[in-house]
Amino acid sequence: MATPSYSTIVKDGLWDNNGVLCMLLGMCPTMAMTTSATNGFGMGLATAAVMASSNLLVAIFRGYITYEVRVPVFILIVASMVTLVDLTMNAWMHELYKVLGLFIPLIVSNCLPLARLESFAAKEPVLPSLVDGIFMGLGFTFALTAIGAMREIVGSGTLFADASLLLGPAFKFMEMRILPPEASVLVMILPPGGFLATGLLVAGKRLIDIRAGKAISMGGAHCVG
Amino acid sequence: MSALTDKSGPFTHAPNSVPRIMNTVLLALAPATLFELYLFGWPAVFLFVISVASCKLAEAGCLWLAGKPVAPTLRDSSAALTGWLLAMSLPPWAPWWVPVVGAVFAIPLAKHVFGGLGQNVFNPAMVARVALLVSFPVQMTLFVAPQPLFSAGAPGFLEALSITFGAGAVDSMSAASALGYVKTELSRGIPVAESLRHVPDLMDLAFGSKPGSMGETSVVLILLGGLFLLVRRIISWHIPVAVIGTLFVLGTLFNTLDPARYTPGMFHVLSGATMLGAFFIATDYVTSPVSKKGQLVFGVGVGLLTWAIRSYAGYPEGMAFAVLLMNSLTPIIDQQFRPRAFGRTRKGEPLPLKGEK
Amino acid sequence: MSKPSYVHGLILGAFCLGFGVVLAGTDMVTSAPIAQRALEDKQNALSKVIPPGIHDNVPVTDTITLSNHDGKPITIYRATKGGKVTGVAYQIEGSGYAGEMRLMLAVDADGKILGVRALAHKETPGLGDKIDTAKTDWITRFDGLFLGNPPADKWKVKKDGGVFDQFSGATITPRGVVAAIRHGLEFFAENKTQLLEVR
Repeated sequence: MATPSYSTIVKDGLWDNNGVLCMLLGMCPTMAMTTSATNGFGMGLATAAVMASSNLLVAIFRGYITYEVRVPVFILIVASMVTLVDLTMNAWMHELYKVLGLFIPLIVSNCLPLARLESFAAKEPVLPSLVDGIFMGLGFTFALTAIGAMREIVGSGTLFADASLLLGPAFKFMEMRILPPEASVLVMILPPGGFLATGLLVAGKRLIDIRAGKAISMGGAHCVG
Repeated sequence: MSALTDKSGPFTHAPNSVPRIMNTVLLALAPATLFELYLFGWPAVFLFVISVASCKLAEAGCLWLAGKPVAPTLRDSSAALTGWLLAMSLPPWAPWWVPVVGAVFAIPLAKHVFGGLGQNVFNPAMVARVALLVSFPVQMTLFVAPQPLFSAGAPGFLEALSITFGAGAVDSMSAASALGYVKTELSRGIPVAESLRHVPDLMDLAFGSKPGSMGETSVVLILLGGLFLLVRRIISWHIPVAVIGTLFVLGTLFNTLDPARYTPGMFHVLSGATMLGAFFIATDYVTSPVSKKGQLVFGVGVGLLTWAIRSYAGYPEGMAFAVLLMNSLTPIIDQQFRPRAFGRTRKGEPLPLKGEK
Repeated sequence: MSKPSYVHGLILGAFCLGFGVVLAGTDMVTSAPIAQRALEDKQNALSKVIPPGIHDNVPVTDTITLSNHDGKPITIYRATKGGKVTGVAYQIEGSGYAGEMRLMLAVDADGKILGVRALAHKETPGLGDKIDTAKTDWITRFDGLFLGNPPADKWKVKKDGGVFDQFSGATITPRGVVAAIRHGLEFFAENKTQLLEVR
């Protein structure tokens, strides 16, 4: 299979083959971390950092990794990158770490990074692999932020609450109150809300694709996991 | 049930059809509902109308979105039944937006996402009730003592409008339901035997002059409605008997063992949504098993879970949760208790001919 | 085609070694800032309950350990000024609607409450989480109270015949908080001499 063009890689990652909305990978952080748009965004970025760096490393070393031990090596690389992110965030982004800290180690068990290593980085050159890691990660971030925003608006009536903790005080303007606190439908920020929001967004994506006349590809060639 | 399955043959003609069944169920619910509306006054009337109307509206919207014919399905009263049951599971003085949000959960999310009438896994009215209970714990547990229409102290028409469309019932009017009271008292160390003395006695529980959701109170009228459905063969006895029997047996057994901790069997049967759940909710055709044995298993499961949730869990009433949990087991129950096909053994082999033996 | 298995072992070992070194390096760089952050967290929690005016020491590092009547060790953070103990803070536990709630209670030398804050809890959002200062200031109403004001038998929520408001729809959470604070104050009364002893 020829290496896909960069525009295909970007489009696949962000929309066509989106990790959450199409491949339905990484459901654990998707459900656990999307009680607000800010949390989803932060978790998405942390995952994107892990995916980009591990894709890059695997693509660099792929000549040396034998087929038989590739999976342990992949997991080793992902786990190392996660630990790096975990320690770094704890030391220098502590406010965010207090929110996400419990879930950062879960990136290891997220099958999306491993799926991209196996199905992309292990076969393709370095630069496309890096781009794939970045844009798959950004697509993941996009999906988590969208799910988080949906749950947050309905469930607590706010949007991007505490965004300034994540992005710095300059982003205070993003913190909005959409609905009065009495009108919040609590179930959306409790666990069932995660399933409802994810399901509705997956349906929404397919609806948009159908309207755009695209053939529906659930799963598809890249779907591993 | 039997009448429905018979319909598969084109040569048999059955009087039953979906609208007919639905309308009979509504008819069976009517006496209890009218009495409840009288007991809780104008706010309850408004709530009931809003609930049914918003479910109908949501149904029409969903059918239109899915590109299905709107009018015929809308006329079969199934959405009205969902709205009706939803209204009966709400505190009668809840504000107007509670049933509206409930309708959004019941019709699009619990019913049409799965494919509409006959396809849903979970009972729509109960999905709505549970979602509302989890989302609005304050509004959903604010019960009032009955204040019959036109009686002194009952809210007038205009006052009722401000209750339903304004803030809803306020804290000072609230009164705990019997199940809720016993649970709260137990949590602060008061034994059940003690707190039971302060709840309405069994006669009051049976006839409905006690605080609670609309459908939780007039047990006798709901029982009569249920018996009417049995007589009309809309439902069979299996599920209601299994539910009520299990609750009664477990309640009596554990109450005998430790009266300080567990409420007695009759209290379980007459309080909360036991009757409404056993006759009208657990018996929903779509979400309960088809075979009689399966229905017995289903009913025992509902009774067991209801009893367990009432006795051990954080929420005082567990009927809605129990029905939903058993709904999710229905496909498995159906698979385990598949009825024998005519002319074949249970394993699907042809029956041996008499001469071959 | 297939290589002998020791080759795979060596490759895996080399990767483990390489990433092990990288992680060890990161840990060396970050361990000091992480310890610093943990200390700051504790200090933040303490500064919410101990007013800065009453001490000239650093309470988070001035600790003693006592055991409560269950024999469980409790770390006491002490605020001192001019060599005298002006207040103590310690963690108390209450049972809420959804499991244990951990609170930080600070008491001055006379047994008056300086402040209470919820540290960690799993109470229902919108109901029980009103004990959090991020939602309501309910928990600040304990400031300045002591055993005797109100009297010990009135340290209950109103529903149980006490003086403290419950939240509408939630009784169990405030009941747990009130009971935890009462036990915390009793602990102070029992161990007063040890708590205020200057070393």
